[in-house]
Amino acid sequence: MNSIHDLGGMHGLGPVLQDPNEVLFRHDWERRIFGLFFAAFGGGHFNIDEFRHAVERMEPVHYLTSSYYEHWVHGIESLLIAKGVIGQDELAARMLSLKGAA
Amino acid sequence: MPVLTEEFVPILVKTGASARVDVARTARFRVGDWVRVKNINPTTHTRMPRYVRGKLGCIKRDHGVFITPDAVAHGLGEHPQHLYSVSFSATELWGDVALAQDSLRIDLWDDYMELAEHE
Amino acid sequence: MKHTPTDYHDHEHTEPPSDIELRVKALESILQEKQLIDPAALDALIDIYEHKVGPRNGAQVVAKAWSDPQYKQRLLQDATAAIAELGFGGVQGEDMLVVENTAAVHNVVVCTLCSCYPWPTLGLPPIWYKSAPYRSRIVIEPRSVLAEFGVTLAPSKEVRVWDSNAELRYLVLPERPVDTEGWSEAQLMKLVTRNAMIGTGLALPAGDIR
Repeated sequence: MNSIHDLGGMHGLGPVLQDPNEVLFRHDWERRIFGLFFAAFGGGHFNIDEFRHAVERMEPVHYLTSSYYEHWVHGIESLLIAKGVIGQDELAARMLSLKGAA
Repeated sequence: MPVLTEEFVPILVKTGASARVDVARTARFRVGDWVRVKNINPTTHTRMPRYVRGKLGCIKRDHGVFITPDAVAHGLGEHPQHLYSVSFSATELWGDVALAQDSLRIDLWDDYMELAEHE
Repeated sequence: MKHTPTDYHDHEHTEPPSDIELRVKALESILQEKQLIDPAALDALIDIYEHKVGPRNGAQVVAKAWSDPQYKQRLLQDATAAIAELGFGGVQGEDMLVVENTAAVHNVVVCTLCSCYPWPTLGLPPIWYKSAPYRSRIVIEPRSVLAEFGVTLAPSKEVRVWDSNAELRYLVLPERPVDTEGWSEAQLMKLVTRNAMIGTGLALPAGDIR
């Protein structure tokens, strides 16, 4: 699909910024989603091409303004919902209850 | 569904899941052939970036037979076919902003290309 | 616009971290409840990629190729097998290709469509490699991007950009620095940076570690 992920040759996206003090995971949730990807992939819930396509279907502004691991969250969540592994309502309800517990 | 257990983690990490498949397929192109990338615009998944569509390139290496993401992403089977390293001159891709001596290599499947003439 | 070294730019104001944190927590707890994941497996995976795999693996491959012409030949012919000789392989390195920098050609690797990267030899990619600016620019203006990385090349040299759009993963074999004759592989390894193996850098000069 001709989506925002197909970046080769685009102008205006800014300089390439290197961070010498970069860490692999900046937040603990990045670690967990990295692990969850493997668990869902290794468990056979989706393949890598389905996963890439799920990320491509992100809303373009959100794609450009969110981080790499947020793309993963979107990809994993949308595939697990589409395949009926989890429910959208179930996820929303769990977020609410976790928020309440925090 | 199987659950990825702690014991299986090192095995998964060490083995991975190669997209190369051991099935015989006739290669549509040979090293040295000139090819034109098809101009396709599917709304489905493809690994053919827009910047190579319609461009003229040269087959540099036959990687062997690989599954096709365009099919696998949609549950349409593996559709095994030859995958090649294809070379494009930078000016073919970008015109005058590029230097004539620079080039780009990308991996393209049989289905992505047509045989082309080259002077 | 002020650019900060996050993935694209600072997005924290649009998506509060607490929200994304909650989403991931919710996902994990639901999957755990359904017994679809083993949290210990997640911990083990994270530990491997955070602590055990990294560019030192790739540096070992490069140092061996510099030291052993027969190994280098095997590496350029069948990179996956040659890299496996040193014990590296697996996820995101199942099918490898090593491309050699020479006096005539400088290679540089990108994945314009996502962020494909050779994990077994380089570990997980740096943020800039996954960023929109690198993915968009390196294919159309490689020389100016390389200059920003401190790599200025003679116009006569061919810059060859590799877009790893399929399942082949690419490692650049940098040119061996001068004045390193007789060095051990362990010494040579210290000259091999991650960026040199992506192609956005060169191997360090010998003087840097003497």
